[in-house]
Amino acid sequence: MSKLSFRARALDAAKPLPIYRGKDMPDLNDCVSINRAVPQMPTGMEKEEESEHHLQRAISAQQVFREKKESMVIPVPEAESNVNYYNRLYKGEFKQPKQFIHIQPFNLDNEQPDYDMDSEDETLLNRLNRKMEIKPLQFEIMIDRLEKASSNQLVTLQEAKLLLNEDDYLIKAVYDYWVRKRKNCRGPSLIPQIKQEKRDGSTNNDPYVAFRRRTEKMQTRKNRKNDEASYEKMLKLRREFSRAITILEMIKRREKTKRELLHLTLEVVEKRYHLGDYGGEILNEVKINRSEKELYATPATLHNGNHHKVQECKTKHPHHLSLKEEASDVVRQKKKYPKKPKAEALITSQQPTPETLPVINKSDIKQYDFHSSDEDEFPQVPSPVSEPEEENDPDGPCAFRRRAGCQYYAPRLDQANHSFDNSELADLDKLRYRHCLTTLTVPRRCIGFARRRIGRGGRVIMDRISTEHDPVLKQIDPEMLNGFSSSSQTIDFSSNFSRTNASSKHCENRLSLSEILSNIRSCRLQCFQPRLLNLQDSDNEECTSRKPGQTVNNKRVSAASVALLNTSKNGISVTGGITEEQFQTHQQQLVQMQRQQLAQLQQKQQSQHSSQQTHPKAQGSSTSDCMSKTLDSASAHFAASAVVSAPVPSRSEVAKEQSTGHNNINGVVQPSGTSKTLYSTNMALSSSPGISAVQLVRTVGHTTTNHLIPALCTSSPQTLPMNNSCLTNAVHLNNVSVVSPVNVHINTRTSAPSPTALKLATVAASMDRVPKVTPSSAISSIARENHEPERLGLNGIAETTVAMEVT
Amino acid sequence: MAEVGEIIEGCRLPVLRRNQDNEDEWPLAEILSVKDISGRKLFYVHYIDFNKRLDEWVTHERLDLKKIQFPKKEAKTPTKNGLPGSRPGSPEREVPASAQASGKTLPIPVQITLRFNLPKEREAIPGGEPDQPLSSSSCLQPNHRSTKRKVEVVSPATPVPSETAPTSVFPQNGSARRAVAAQPGRKRKSNCLGTDEDSQDSSDGIPSAPRMTGSLVSDRSHDDIVTRMKNIECIELGRHRLKPWYFSPYPQELTTLPVLYLCEFCLKYGRSLKCLQRHLTKCDLRHPPGNEIYRKGTISFFEIDGRKNKSYSQNLCLLAKCFLDHKTLYYDTDPFLFYVMTEYDCKGFHIVGYFSKEKESTEDYNVACILTLPPYQRRGYGKLLIEFSYELSKVEGKTGTPEKPLSDLGLLSYRSYWSQTILEILMGLKSESGERPQITINEISEITSIKKEDVISTLQYLNLINYYKGQYILTLSEDIVDGHERAMLKRLLRIDSKCLHFTPKDWSKRGKW
Repeated sequence: MSKLSFRARALDAAKPLPIYRGKDMPDLNDCVSINRAVPQMPTGMEKEEESEHHLQRAISAQQVFREKKESMVIPVPEAESNVNYYNRLYKGEFKQPKQFIHIQPFNLDNEQPDYDMDSEDETLLNRLNRKMEIKPLQFEIMIDRLEKASSNQLVTLQEAKLLLNEDDYLIKAVYDYWVRKRKNCRGPSLIPQIKQEKRDGSTNNDPYVAFRRRTEKMQTRKNRKNDEASYEKMLKLRREFSRAITILEMIKRREKTKRELLHLTLEVVEKRYHLGDYGGEILNEVKINRSEKELYATPATLHNGNHHKVQECKTKHPHHLSLKEEASDVVRQKKKYPKKPKAEALITSQQPTPETLPVINKSDIKQYDFHSSDEDEFPQVPSPVSEPEEENDPDGPCAFRRRAGCQYYAPRLDQANHSFDNSELADLDKLRYRHCLTTLTVPRRCIGFARRRIGRGGRVIMDRISTEHDPVLKQIDPEMLNGFSSSSQTIDFSSNFSRTNASSKHCENRLSLSEILSNIRSCRLQCFQPRLLNLQDSDNEECTSRKPGQTVNNKRVSAASVALLNTSKNGISVTGGITEEQFQTHQQQLVQMQRQQLAQLQQKQQSQHSSQQTHPKAQGSSTSDCMSKTLDSASAHFAASAVVSAPVPSRSEVAKEQSTGHNNINGVVQPSGTSKTLYSTNMALSSSPGISAVQLVRTVGHTTTNHLIPALCTSSPQTLPMNNSCLTNAVHLNNVSVVSPVNVHINTRTSAPSPTALKLATVAASMDRVPKVTPSSAISSIARENHEPERLGLNGIAETTVAMEVT
Repeated sequence: MAEVGEIIEGCRLPVLRRNQDNEDEWPLAEILSVKDISGRKLFYVHYIDFNKRLDEWVTHERLDLKKIQFPKKEAKTPTKNGLPGSRPGSPEREVPASAQASGKTLPIPVQITLRFNLPKEREAIPGGEPDQPLSSSSCLQPNHRSTKRKVEVVSPATPVPSETAPTSVFPQNGSARRAVAAQPGRKRKSNCLGTDEDSQDSSDGIPSAPRMTGSLVSDRSHDDIVTRMKNIECIELGRHRLKPWYFSPYPQELTTLPVLYLCEFCLKYGRSLKCLQRHLTKCDLRHPPGNEIYRKGTISFFEIDGRKNKSYSQNLCLLAKCFLDHKTLYYDTDPFLFYVMTEYDCKGFHIVGYFSKEKESTEDYNVACILTLPPYQRRGYGKLLIEFSYELSKVEGKTGTPEKPLSDLGLLSYRSYWSQTILEILMGLKSESGERPQITINEISEITSIKKEDVISTLQYLNLINYYKGQYILTLSEDIVDGHERAMLKRLLRIDSKCLHFTPKDWSKRGKW
């Protein structure tokens, strides 16, 4: 070691140390022990003990011999392992379980007494047992209780008696024994216990006091940080709980209100019963007055809490016979008409039987439906039930009710001044301010008469009304109107916002397509048409004039269509859905069809008017040869092709338009799908992803016999008088989605309504499934939609902002 | 030559003792206590330079009265009080000091003369001591200490002449001790007299409570005559009768019993066999009341939470304290986990040994106390316990070290384990591509979970580290290799890590242990 003439580097724990075997080291003597270079590590023992004789001896022995020598071990006090009574003491055997032993920490405390009897106790017990029976455990429990009840002061006999539920004599005997034993006992208790610390600190140095409580817990920084985090969590928890409380309170209030409503309803019913108001006439009168007042008095957004908004359209139903099939309806139809003068006019012109209506209408019924979770049930409203209401005045018993969040406009009264060719039109005139001829951008077609209104969340809902002209109108291609659109659109526009049209002309049953067109051209007939971008481009003036309004409108609409996605957004420019090219082709086809069928149609209409024979016929031969049938299928064709072609982007002229068009289609399908629109089961059309809302409204079974027209539409509240089949009874649902109840329209002229169709419709309605047709496509479109809520909004607008044109 | 009646606490004299080889020896011993049982005097003797566990009660026949050395009268006084919290400077305190001194340089006789001379010197010095301010004790400076230490050897004794007065004035608690302890410091300062390191430590140390972490105490400020003496004569545990080695705070009324009866499974203590019998009718445990986390063959390990299962933990600690000198039971068992090793037979899982472990150790301790019960000692169980403790550390991904101070047996066991473990690795290293195998200390530490310092100390102890050609190398000499191989042949009990089912808990994330 003395050879170490240089200073060795410090031992580096991270540096590799090569390992030499003894034989590898020829010059081992040259090695320098590092004992001086590396500071000697402490042994970890107390110094005074380190030097103990036996240890030192053991260490040196180990150093020398490299293993333990028997004689060199550290001596310890001996231990014996010869307790011969062991087996008697620990009785029984314990089988090792296969599984690892797992113990529940809280099962450990069994209720056994801590006191263990000794032999002295045993003698007492034996003595006591001569007079009474006392078991060792019983005795132990007694002593245990006595011990635990007394501290320095022994419990008294009285207390002992309360403590022990035993025979008095036994208690006395045990108590006396215990007191004696306790006195002789040197310990503080008969149950030997570790001395506890005393609070005054006097036991701080008592060696027999053990297991003192730690006054200050060690707190690491981690713990403190943890506390902060958990504090915040607690705060959050508290907030959430209080929110839950609020919600529950609100629910409570709602349920209370519901109950109140129920009671009121009951009262009303009773009153009505006493008055003999079985038909609901009195009620209607009362209601009409009120709703009319509301309607006129409040021009702008009114909020009310009604769940439903029922719109009725007065229509003509030449083929109401079909309804007789439905038993429930028949019963209702026995009711007499409301006595309203407006309705009288209708009655005269229509068939007496089918028009009979239950006065208690859908809305009334529904009003009293109490749903605890109020969303999903509403779409199930069976449509036929609502049908009988159609003859009512629009402001009749089921007059529209205000919905929260909707904007309502007062109807214009000045529209009523026009003369009509026949009584029907006169009647329709009353509806005129509600419905107008409407065309859609996507698919490009005319959907007949509809009115637009803004539904919940700003969606635009189209309430269609079926008229006799429907077949004709269907053939009207928006392109036809293009020529004169520039002139009319300005008017449209104003009407769009005023909700009225200064001059609206009727459409007549017997009007031919050309007549209609000419009417439109001459602005006698109002036609609502959504604008295409290119159209706007074509005439600037129009654009400028229209724009502000439209944007406003758009805003609303887009909000509507996006409502599902909860992102109501600002409106954006409108684009056409299906390219014009496509439309052209369709249009041409359509025109052909029109021409072919027009004549037939008119014939048929006439015949219907006179005899109404078509009905049974249609019912019977749902598939067959009806003219209307052909027409229907044709129109369905059209719609379908429109739909099919729509998603194909290559065809479209403008790329931008294409994409939007795409979305349009999807967008429309989308909301309807998710909002649980009723699909008719047989909708072949709906199988294609791009079905516009309007199509939905009027999807006609293409291949099947049924001609269901689920009349769900998103439309702005615009009206034009046009009558065909039935009423569009748009029941507005509360929250999630706007669903206008599907009306199964039976198109008198065009398609004979079959009972099966009706039934199907009801089924569809009641089932209320979303993607009845093609789930996959619907879903895919949904997915797409979800990604582009904004666009969807746009599309919705494109769909629904329809320019109005007056002929 | 003194009479038996004159023998008092503090006397030193050779006492007959029979060693392992059955030879009679007369090591020097100190009388710690005297008791009279039916007219027969018994003397509690501590053999100097022997571990306390060999202390025993002897009759006067075994005392060599011819060579008796009486303690200094003044110094003896406080001892006579025999109170808990006896003070530094009492004769009892001198023993370690002298042992230390003798262990270093001086032969015992010289030391003793020194010892008995010194107090006399001191006696003369501090006449007006009591009027010194009491608070001055805290102002001892470190460099003072170091200079004093050099003198230490020549002045190992600690008694303070003026001690008697404050002792009688102040109650025997921490504050009294502190007040008294202030004086040596004062004195040293003024008189430049050396003091024993021990007394200094204890006077400077926190007087009342030991530190809250860990379960061992290294400072002996709480050592008093009571805790220095075994208080339990015999413990019966299952098949075994154990002779305790050290004091254990079992209820005081039980200390007079010839045998303390423990339930083998729940470790509850009873005063008589009858009590135990009665207890066994109510106790249905046949294994430690914890979760089994290891089982191979008949060996199992159970984990017991010191907070959840207090009574068992406390009973275990009481038992363990009988064999662990430095263990403190001052505080509760809450921050510890107890790993109890058992051996199974048809009667149940019998406790063999255990180690405790802090749930959260600030100092990398992976063991607080570790004990193989005497009947199972020297059969490889200790090493098995140690191996298991390192297996747990491996699962935790930490290195660990046992809490200090180690006992003599602890040191030997750990050194043996460390040596074998490290040698196993070193010898298992194969040379790669003709190069000499090499390894860093850190790598050894990571592989074994043995803390780096322990690795180094073991390498040093084995004399493996050498400096060769400008770098450190590890040399495996042939006798080391042979010795290791022979030792490993004997080491049959090993822990099989595949049999361990243990998921460490992160105790820092819990508010409480």
